Amino acid sequence: MSGWLLRRGLQAVVVLAIALTILFFLMRAAPGDPLARASESRPLSTAELAALRARYGLDQPAAAQFVAFLGGLLHGDLGVSIEYGRPVTGLLAERLPATLLLGGSVLLLNFTVGLWLGVRQALRRGRAEDRWLTAISLVGYATPSFWLGLVLAWLVGIKLRLLPAAGMQDPLLSFDASFTVRVVDVLRHLVLPVMTLSIVSIAATMRYQRTAMLEILSLPFMVTARAKGLPEREVIWRHGWRNALFPVITLFGLWLPILVTGSVFVEAVFAWPGLGSLAAAAVWGRDYPVLMGASMLVAALVVAGGFITDVAYALLDPRVRLA
Amino acid sequence: MTPWTPRPGPLVALWLLLLAPTAAAQTSAGQPGSIVIAIGEQPTMPIPTLMEGSAGTQGNIELADQLFLRLARLGPTVLTAGDRGFVPLLARSWSRRDSVTLAFDLDSRARWQDGVPITARDVIFTFERARNPAIAPRTVGLLRHITSVTAEGDHRVVFHFSHPYPEQFYDATFHAAPLPAHLLDTIPPEALGRSGFVSHPVGSGPYRLVRVVSGQFLELAANEDFFLGKPKIGRVILRVAPDPDARINLLLSGQADALDNVVPPLENIQRIKADTTLRLIPVPAPALGFLLFNQKDPHNSTKPHPILSDVRVRRAITLALDRQLLIHAVFGSYAEVPFGPVSSILWIRNGAPQAARQNVAEAKRLLEAAGWRDSNGDGIRDRNGRPLTLGLSLPTTSAVRRKFAVLIQEQLRQVGLGLELQQAEFPLWIERRSAGKFDIDFAGTIQDPSPSGLTQAWTCTGGTNVTKYCDPLVDSLMDAAIRGNAKGDPSRPWIAVLRQIEADAPATFLYAPFYVYAVKRRFRDVSIMPGSSWQLVREWSESR
Repeated sequence: MSGWLLRRGLQAVVVLAIALTILFFLMRAAPGDPLARASESRPLSTAELAALRARYGLDQPAAAQFVAFLGGLLHGDLGVSIEYGRPVTGLLAERLPATLLLGGSVLLLNFTVGLWLGVRQALRRGRAEDRWLTAISLVGYATPSFWLGLVLAWLVGIKLRLLPAAGMQDPLLSFDASFTVRVVDVLRHLVLPVMTLSIVSIAATMRYQRTAMLEILSLPFMVTARAKGLPEREVIWRHGWRNALFPVITLFGLWLPILVTGSVFVEAVFAWPGLGSLAAAAVWGRDYPVLMGASMLVAALVVAGGFITDVAYALLDPRVRLA
Repeated sequence: MTPWTPRPGPLVALWLLLLAPTAAAQTSAGQPGSIVIAIGEQPTMPIPTLMEGSAGTQGNIELADQLFLRLARLGPTVLTAGDRGFVPLLARSWSRRDSVTLAFDLDSRARWQDGVPITARDVIFTFERARNPAIAPRTVGLLRHITSVTAEGDHRVVFHFSHPYPEQFYDATFHAAPLPAHLLDTIPPEALGRSGFVSHPVGSGPYRLVRVVSGQFLELAANEDFFLGKPKIGRVILRVAPDPDARINLLLSGQADALDNVVPPLENIQRIKADTTLRLIPVPAPALGFLLFNQKDPHNSTKPHPILSDVRVRRAITLALDRQLLIHAVFGSYAEVPFGPVSSILWIRNGAPQAARQNVAEAKRLLEAAGWRDSNGDGIRDRNGRPLTLGLSLPTTSAVRRKFAVLIQEQLRQVGLGLELQQAEFPLWIERRSAGKFDIDFAGTIQDPSPSGLTQAWTCTGGTNVTKYCDPLVDSLMDAAIRGNAKGDPSRPWIAVLRQIEADAPATFLYAPFYVYAVKRRFRDVSIMPGSSWQLVREWSESR
């Protein structure tokens, strides 16, 4: 087990290093000036641009910039954002909780409601409930999340005024508001973005789970389990669902990096202060240090997604060993 | 047999956990004594002398106006020539000693937010910092005519200028609000941007920065000891929402009390108008949109542009466009056609002539005279086998310019000119622009209140003159306007500049918009300054 972990750890480091190196040079090879944003409204003269370029080390060759980046990285320093003028590590740390809260809530709902509905559909195959849920899931899957977000914000936030239309917390909450009040406040702000992202993602999970479950239900070992006189609950849960989880586990591994990258539009519509909008703005402004920081995070999540998938496979299937 | 399925209980409970809070009362904007303003970008460096480059954002400038007072501020006329257009702030009064010397007497009541009196030392310290090219390369250029700043006692500062010119007062008061020397003189200039002062500034303004919740909001509290009177609104929240739709949603859902610049489409304005608790306030804006003609060949900048180097073609493009109609389609009544490169904030527009109206017949005549005729009947003119087709470079990020571009394309087709829309991601567009790789650039700019800023883009040696437009007559006229004439209307020499630029037609000046602000009707005495939206919030009050 420890040998496997060590190997996977080393693999992860190598994958991350390769990904970051490619990203670093691709960013610089791509057209677009990182100081473009600075010239957006009040154009800068050539001399002013040269001074700024020197300040951010952009006047150095790409290789020299890479060496400086690696030097900083070894000390946990990702550099200073061109856009914000602040250390990138601080910026990422500020935005990470909002992203984890939103993405974590979506994953939680996705893999609870989605799995449950998928199993339910499979067990009621061909019935009216299955047909309705199939139709609803297809509509949900086809719905653009940014459009859904705009509609929900308008309907629930503006027309009905049931929930906040945007933001993550009420800035006018009293300083001495209790912890519970603050948690409730954040939850109220969380509902609409989570609903927007969940409706689409649950639909996908439902479809995967339904298909996988249907395949399993038709296999001989399910008949054997029933013939042994096992309770139906145990047949479905232990023998059926457990085996039907594999495709969904793969899906989970793929969803993990989407925690950061998949919510850009929803973060914009709901003014949610997450990493997605920070990364999108960095792309738009060619803010290299922030882009590298965000890319590192996404690359780490990709690696983590693969790792979690492997571990989950091994835990669920005795034939798979971490060797 | 009914197959067993997982029970929905735990899932319902999970959903209830998230949805139960919906029953809680909606708490948000509308608290007495507070105002929540939805803004588009988070201020990150609201410190005078540091607001350069990426930090030179409108958000930083506007927050700095709440935290740091200038010696004097521009009044509603935004007149930068002389001192008639200015209102005293840190300086109680001023006097002119001679044509190159101005003396300011500081208000002895003025205090930093830590209680320390504001003195001439602070002003001198700030100008030393502002004239450090390593810190403030742009401001250095703006202050180049100030030869020295000296103190006479604790409360008098004297500015010495290199030569007489009308905007001495503006240069002395506008570009750098004083910083607290007693807190900053131990911090090396290059380290100030990374110091704790940036996150916890001690200013002289009506509000102090209480907290910053990154990506969400900034909270300002009234400076109780503000020497010009404690603000009536005790708490200002600047709520950040980069997406325009999200800002409007904040306002319409009651989560914000005010919104800066309701951007087109016009439906946004209609939505806000429909809310009877809100009022719309159009204010002259520093923005300007124009079609910039490249007079050099984009493929070889040593050669003239094969089509646009001919002034007749450039003029024809201007005359072919019904700019009033274009504006009406995009901005409604909230913009005007400028005469020359003049936003609605610049005072020189007051004496300027009306912009030329659409004249399709004259446009066609000019094109004919330049040799462009439709020889093959395809609707697009040509000359020596070359079609009269041009590329229009514009950024994908500007919905306004995209909408304008489509309408312009259609109007130019009417005179036989083909326009190819070349949309590019913002950094690519800038790169293309800086390299002169375009026929026509759909430019947008934000102008300082001073017309002297026009030198940057419209003189032969201007730092941002990407098309290398060069008319020595314009240069000399502009030089004369900047140097000014002690007698007479200061705008007159500027009008001569604008006339000559219009005659050269280096660009078609399309729109000078007004920013449309939305504010809850419960706020009274609402006054919004062109160029610094919320500067006067300290004078607003609330109806009870």
